[in-house]
Amino acid sequence: MTDPQELTMEELRDRIRAAGVTIAEHRLAMVRKLLAEALAPVRVLDSRTIKTVEPAVTFSPTREAGND
Amino acid sequence: MTEEIFYATIRELGARYRRRELSPVEVTQALLARIERLDPVLHAFVTLTADRALADARAAEEALGCGDGRALLGIPVAHKDIYLTRGTRTTGGSALLADWIPEDDATCVRRWREAGTVLLGKLITHEFAFGIQFPGHRFPPARNPWNLDHIPGGSSSGSGAALAAGLVGGATGSDTGGSIRGPAAFCGIVGLKPTYGRASRAGVLALSWTLDHTGPMARTVEDCAYLLQALAGHDPADPASSRAPVDDYLAPLARDIRGVRIGVPRAYFFEGIDPEIERAFEEALETLRRLGAEVRDVQIPSLHATHSFLLILMAEAFAYHERDIRQHPELYGDVLRERILTGALVTAAEYTQAQRIRAQICRETADVLREVDVLVTPTTLKPATPFTLAQDPDLGFPRSNMPPFNLTGLPTLALPCGFSSSGLPLSLQLSGRPFDEGTVLRIGHAYEQATTWHTRRPPL
Repeated sequence: MTDPQELTMEELRDRIRAAGVTIAEHRLAMVRKLLAEALAPVRVLDSRTIKTVEPAVTFSPTREAGND
Repeated sequence: MTEEIFYATIRELGARYRRRELSPVEVTQALLARIERLDPVLHAFVTLTADRALADARAAEEALGCGDGRALLGIPVAHKDIYLTRGTRTTGGSALLADWIPEDDATCVRRWREAGTVLLGKLITHEFAFGIQFPGHRFPPARNPWNLDHIPGGSSSGSGAALAAGLVGGATGSDTGGSIRGPAAFCGIVGLKPTYGRASRAGVLALSWTLDHTGPMARTVEDCAYLLQALAGHDPADPASSRAPVDDYLAPLARDIRGVRIGVPRAYFFEGIDPEIERAFEEALETLRRLGAEVRDVQIPSLHATHSFLLILMAEAFAYHERDIRQHPELYGDVLRERILTGALVTAAEYTQAQRIRAQICRETADVLREVDVLVTPTTLKPATPFTLAQDPDLGFPRSNMPPFNLTGLPTLALPCGFSSSGLPLSLQLSGRPFDEGTVLRIGHAYEQATTWHTRRPPL
């Protein structure tokens, strides 16, 4: 059974097709590594445990312009 | 002119100018000769602006004669080549922009010009601040003055190399995942990534709007304070620019650090660390304790998710480069093109989750910074990487100690804290509360004054 946190080569190819970009075949393994490592924290995330929703715009009542 | 002039601090140079022991023209001429001698090997400069430098120096000399007291008057600087310079080419370290001459200065360039600095030229950057130059690239990569077989770090590679080699007195850098602090660490100099919004990004080539910071690089903490003073302040041309008042960054340097509370987040920052760096770090903590700081461990659990910052970086980089990289892929280096195109593969939901992780890290770090004044960590996990490893196209994007402070936007200073047994510099990272650059600089200055690491020179 495939690990749901794993980025398979098939999924990578699907993403490349959907994005309409070209990546050389011999570099796919490297791109998969790069993307999988960046995705790892997101794939283990239980999004219900994070309360803040970003991006959030805040306004200061003391200033007419800007949000800081 | 003796070598000490090439390593003089901003305060020393200013004092000698005002005592008429030196003139900006003499210093500029000597630096241009030194660059001519050393840079064919170091490759720190991508464009030398000798005529402009001499004109700036003559103007500074005249102003000094009229009693002009500006701290940066006649100080020789150079800009990372992603800062736009009016009338001087700005390449981004890329074949795509190899001959591009902008019509305007970046705000930071203008502010240093108005402060009276002498512009020596433009410093090589990793291609678009994201991809190291491989052999055969239009622009050769800068080399580390401490060991030419090692990289000077990136992406502000030319800035780090030029400062370590005594070719400039100050330089700009930019920092999206550590590009000011990494070269500072690898080259044995000082780099300050200010608070997000403190220094303008207007007129600086973007990499990731969420993570990009501009800031100064120098050889001492005090020099960084002088350089930041001239950079900081609201800029309506940068949507992220803050209206928070600009502090005096020099005054706090005179105060000691007794009672300052330092937090050490041990989890995350020590995973895979080189033992020599860990030892130097522990010795640095001892020095800070001797100076009167209170040091304790702290916890920031969500830092384990830091590597998701790369989703934000790559997705935003693709958004910025999409048109050019689709039309002219051959003008991007192979590895850079691969990294940017990977950003096209990140889904909207994944990008959003990465931003939510960022918010969580910000919140947890802010909680910790209510209990301590600063966080102290090793800047890098290893000393400068050899070219043989850095230019391996299968290296990927290794885990790093610097991105947490791009995600949080906190002011973070990197400064020397030792040397490896092979003679490569090691570095300490100090991070403070938003817009509290003053405290970060004060602690860094106190540590620097208690040690001698910043006085060592590379064997050139």
